Amino acid sequence: MKNLVMTCLLLGCTTLVHANLVIEITQGRDDALPIAVVPFASSGGQPEEDIAAIIAANLHRSGQFRPLPAEDMLSRPSRGADIIWRDFRVMQSEYVVVGRSNRLEDGRYRVEYELHDVARGAQMVAASYTGSASQLRDMAHSISDKVFEQLTGIPGVFGTKILYVTMNERREHPFELQYADADGHRAQTILRSRQPIMSPSWSPDGSQVAYVSFEGDGLPKIYVHNLASSERRVVARESGINGAPAWSPDGTRLALTLSRDGAPEIYTLDLSTGRLVRRTNSRAIDTEPRWLPDGESLVFTSSRGGGPQIYRMDLRDNTVRRLTFEGPYNARPDVTPDGRYLVFVHRRDGRFQIGVQDMRRGTFNVLTASNMDESPSVAPNGTMIIYGTQQGGAGVLEAVSIDGRVRVALPSKEGEVREPAWSPFM
Amino acid sequence: MRASTYNRLFIAVIGSAMLAACSSTPTEDDTSATDQQQVEREADTRPVTPAQPTRPDYSHIPLTAEGYHNHPSHYDGTTDSRIVYFAFDRSEVPAAAFDTLRAHANHLKGNSNARVRLEGHTDERGTREYNVALAERRSKAVEQFLRVQGVSASQITTVSYGEEKPKARGSDEMAYAQNRRVELNYTAGRP
Repeated sequence: MKNLVMTCLLLGCTTLVHANLVIEITQGRDDALPIAVVPFASSGGQPEEDIAAIIAANLHRSGQFRPLPAEDMLSRPSRGADIIWRDFRVMQSEYVVVGRSNRLEDGRYRVEYELHDVARGAQMVAASYTGSASQLRDMAHSISDKVFEQLTGIPGVFGTKILYVTMNERREHPFELQYADADGHRAQTILRSRQPIMSPSWSPDGSQVAYVSFEGDGLPKIYVHNLASSERRVVARESGINGAPAWSPDGTRLALTLSRDGAPEIYTLDLSTGRLVRRTNSRAIDTEPRWLPDGESLVFTSSRGGGPQIYRMDLRDNTVRRLTFEGPYNARPDVTPDGRYLVFVHRRDGRFQIGVQDMRRGTFNVLTASNMDESPSVAPNGTMIIYGTQQGGAGVLEAVSIDGRVRVALPSKEGEVREPAWSPFM
Repeated sequence: MRASTYNRLFIAVIGSAMLAACSSTPTEDDTSATDQQQVEREADTRPVTPAQPTRPDYSHIPLTAEGYHNHPSHYDGTTDSRIVYFAFDRSEVPAAAFDTLRAHANHLKGNSNARVRLEGHTDERGTREYNVALAERRSKAVEQFLRVQGVSASQITTVSYGEEKPKARGSDEMAYAQNRRVELNYTAGRP
């Protein structure tokens, strides 16, 4: 329940609610697991959210599950004792989720669920939650996470958030920094500006974000913004570029790009002391740093070899080695939480696509097939990558699985959406 | 200064117009490499003294995406022109912009209170922060040009927006050509 309380605080800090992103699955897996999420029974009053529908949509969107449509269900049990196994076996569902909500006298809801294995006719996991109506979605996401983990062995990311920038010239403040649930719902505006907002990055505990804002005088500044309190402060305001902030895994430092000494260079900034340490020294462009999970190395984009390629730096001695060799343009890296896969923007035949390199085996794959893919950001469980692309001339978000087998679109109803950043586990 | 610039320009127009007439496929090189010779010859035979400076007509030089940055129609040789365009993946100031930038340099040198902000931009291709770095190279190239002309460093600031503030919408070569640019914005002592 700690998660729910935390989310509640986050939601309290902003008031504007925007058009939600809508998820469409564009490519799923043939071997997706068939599962039935039975509509939850309710007592004491109909809840404001359809919990079973949210769970089914979450599992479907992961690409790893094929939920049975509710209208095809032969019976709709709400507890294990009432399940007629044959009804689900005949529909080839391998697992069943059942549950119920009870509206309490104080207006809150108690929600219970159970996950059952149809073949064995046995319960695998069960739990209950209590929370307000505004927390029903959080409960549905938490149930989705538990079911996903139980059946795949991988923690679910349905309860996480995405941060992104929107741009709509028809608004008085065209640029907005927003965040939403990982399914695109409950979008909230964190910051509105007439000037560009760029490069949002989460703190490792999910409580703060760092970003570049050109607000006020039109010059770039790096801000650290507390989501719960909406308090923020400028942490970098040097002459020239102030860009590409990336939070260290322990939360104490930012890696960032400054050009105050001439060419763009990577620095680390100690957030408690304000101490800046310059990490690169080349006349070329060095930018777009990301931390490796060990907290002692960075990957970054550099043009030191001619065009942009990705390099890795050991922060203990500032030694650098090149990681990418495939094609003339590889930039804006991100790294999976286990440190194994490097994902980045790869140019091939004039098209910008998302590439992934297995740093253990050295293999390389292109995961996407469009022209203008950018800003890849890895989910905290390492299974999916969210990125910006273009659809009909407008910026939209898409997600692809790390193996390229599942692809999901999140079209927006208004303006451009870009630069997604997937939150850590919260 | 301004009148003489116009004179020179006007003559140059006639020169390049003549050149265009002889050449079936005029290219940028035609106009830039041989202008001088043509101008002088033309000046000998027919001196031109326009009463009113008029906007030269460059319609005979095709405005292609590839040659956009060096097209004379973007640069009138005065401080009225405030955008310098760049070739794809390049940060050299195009020759066609030299006179215009000299006019800005003269204005800045003659008005010590004048302050200019050089705002660098790229097209949308490539990653965003890398484009911020590329656009900074462009604004620094213009800064360097002005500094060589003797403008004080204290009168110039640079800022790079990368691909964040496109001038033209669209994802075609012509839109890209219009977006690869440095804008000169006066924050004080506007000409």
